[in-house]
Amino acid sequence: MDELPLHGIRVLDFSWIIAGPTSTRFLASMGAEVVKVGSARRPDPSTRGPAFQAYNQSKLYASLNISKPEGLDLSKRLIAISDVVIENFAAGVIERLGLGYEVVRSANPDIIMVASSGTGHYGPHTDYVAYGSLLQHYTGWNSISGYPGRGPVTGGLWADPWVGMELAMVTVASLNNRTLTGQGQYVDFSMAEALSACLPEAVLDYQMNDRVKEPIGNQDDFYSPHGVFHCAGEDRWVAIAVTSYEEWMGLCGVIGRPDLASDDNYSDAEGRRQHNDKLEAAITDWTMQRSDREAMKLLQNAGVPSGPSQDILRVFQEPQLSETGYFSSVQARDGSTRYLPGLPWRFEGAQEPILTEAPVLGQHNEYVYGELLGLSAKDIDRLVEEEIIF
Amino acid sequence: MQRGLLPGVRVLDVGQGVSAPYCAKILAQMGAEVIKVEPIEGDSSRAMGPFPNDIPDTEKSGMFLALNANKFSVTLDLTSPGGAESFRKLAATADIVIQNPPPVSLEDLGLGYENLKDGNPGIILTSITPFGGRGPYKDFKATDLVLYHMSGHAHGVLGPVKNPDDDPPIRAGGYQAEFVGGMAAATATLMAIYGKRMTGKGSNIAISSFEAMVTQLISGLANSAWGRPAPPRDLAKVEEAAIGGMVGAIGGILPCNDGYVAISPREDDQWERWLVVMGNPTWSMDDRYSTRDARQKNSPSLWKLLSDWSVNYSKHEIARLGQAQRVPCFAVNTVLDLMRDEHLSHREFFVEMEHPKAGTLKYPGAAYKLSNSPLPLTARSAPLLGEHNSLIFGGLI
Repeated sequence: MDELPLHGIRVLDFSWIIAGPTSTRFLASMGAEVVKVGSARRPDPSTRGPAFQAYNQSKLYASLNISKPEGLDLSKRLIAISDVVIENFAAGVIERLGLGYEVVRSANPDIIMVASSGTGHYGPHTDYVAYGSLLQHYTGWNSISGYPGRGPVTGGLWADPWVGMELAMVTVASLNNRTLTGQGQYVDFSMAEALSACLPEAVLDYQMNDRVKEPIGNQDDFYSPHGVFHCAGEDRWVAIAVTSYEEWMGLCGVIGRPDLASDDNYSDAEGRRQHNDKLEAAITDWTMQRSDREAMKLLQNAGVPSGPSQDILRVFQEPQLSETGYFSSVQARDGSTRYLPGLPWRFEGAQEPILTEAPVLGQHNEYVYGELLGLSAKDIDRLVEEEIIF
Repeated sequence: MQRGLLPGVRVLDVGQGVSAPYCAKILAQMGAEVIKVEPIEGDSSRAMGPFPNDIPDTEKSGMFLALNANKFSVTLDLTSPGGAESFRKLAATADIVIQNPPPVSLEDLGLGYENLKDGNPGIILTSITPFGGRGPYKDFKATDLVLYHMSGHAHGVLGPVKNPDDDPPIRAGGYQAEFVGGMAAATATLMAIYGKRMTGKGSNIAISSFEAMVTQLISGLANSAWGRPAPPRDLAKVEEAAIGGMVGAIGGILPCNDGYVAISPREDDQWERWLVVMGNPTWSMDDRYSTRDARQKNSPSLWKLLSDWSVNYSKHEIARLGQAQRVPCFAVNTVLDLMRDEHLSHREFFVEMEHPKAGTLKYPGAAYKLSNSPLPLTARSAPLLGEHNSLIFGGLI
């Protein structure tokens, strides 16, 4: 049988909460052996709740108290047999714990150390206290998100998962490089910069036109109609984006308004944008008579990009996901079967990714300390007793 | 010192718009040799803008310039036999081909994975489509707006509202679904090339931008798997601030004399230090605000008191004072603020490139700095349409 692409890679994972664990889930599910280390002294704050069960799928979990010298020493022995070390503490913390890059590199010269923090590991604001939800404001995203004329939006949490994927990406890129050069790497990762990197159009618009971009809700600078339209039922909406003349014709046909299709005022996006209110009323007359899914079906059959605006529970029940094998079933610790999300990629005809249940702290102590480090059962007992394996 | 992480890797970027070109951009800025294969009229993002003075120009689209820096450009009509043949030859020399049909689908042109594999057994083909080319929505069309709403993101962005039927869910600004799809594609592609270095085998990778966006909401999906309800959009139904939803005691937005600041003094010690920033106002002794639970319960009147104070200051002033007390808070930055930010400037986040038609402009750089392999972020500005036709077709194949 074929191996998964990251087979043979060992990742020592000091990360916690959301972004770091999300990245190592990607690595573990694609074949890397991820050893998550943590301590009962300072448990991963995400441990309570279902999300932990998803963030930490497919990993091993060992307990280790690195605040004690012998614990720190064990961590260096684990670093020596790993390919990657990853951490996402606030900047400066890992150094204070005694595992800065210099130390890590002396334990393993070709190690790849990936360090992620809110604003990166040097610079005047490197010590700024950050949460993902706040970084979305700092990075410029929330100044262009929202309804015109109202304050910034307060919801949404996508900084952490975004960074989680990007951390996996730069880790694998560094592994690629190591196959060529034999050389490791210290990766200084800034969560804030990951988000600001993806607003090029706003950054360039300012330079080209002195324009500071403002929120436009669901509308688009160019395309029209472009928005969500109320359907039958409470808080039900279908998103519709018309991006070409053909799609405009398709929309007019579906909503039974040949008069709009033949009106020259609406033949291009600019004309339609000028009559947004009128068109919205015409479309809503039609969508209000239908469920959001029915509206999507009829519109898609006419070649119009559209889909329901869904809450997370409806996404979980989405046939497009269940019928394509996106979810994988996992037997939870209480014996129940749960359907957990999959991966954002499919390797056609290749080995299936590994998506097993999340571990509990210390579950793999015996493997990690006994098999990997070769400690005797007696030594392990003593280390447990002394709250070093803890 | 060697530049970049991917020397010697050749990529053909057959993509248009945002997602596939972004995937290829990531590989280019990591040091791969990326050749854009554009149709004769050019990548559709050449028409996206923004343009200087809002005048459309194939060589001056801001989105194109940003997404295609550090690449080469050739033009090929893949629908003609000659064009397809040139492409086949080029693909025989490449490690990776990236596409995001429609409009260009390599399969429809007889240039799909099986065909490319004939001339290049280890080829990696990465295809980004809205729904991954499978399932009931296989042939459905989607845009960033549609994907953002379908994947569950839009329900969270606005935060709870008084009347959900009057205040529909909205997407974030920008092109998040496109970028996330492109990033998922780059991540998978890098895994595939690592696998190929180990085994010699190529890969045929399908990326669904919908799945990529859905996977971003992994915590919400896990909650659903354990039978938890979706967080309500109706303010009256919100009992506790959902994670990330900046309401009540978790945090929120304050008006300033020049914009807004986002604060989150959620823990008791953070709240104590936040009161120091505000000069320990007398109302803070009130029972209604003395505990986190009380603050959550009385958040409307609390936010009124906070706002009355904050409007007297600038957003950067409050962010500075707050952070000096180790309270999580940041200015709600515009892109102009970003470009003037001393921290980003110290880290040289924005990179400058000169382009023969569009002039000298600053572009967002990468989120990662590498100790041993500095990224070649400014190796070349975005190519003119077909700029490297003679270089590539003349010499390399």
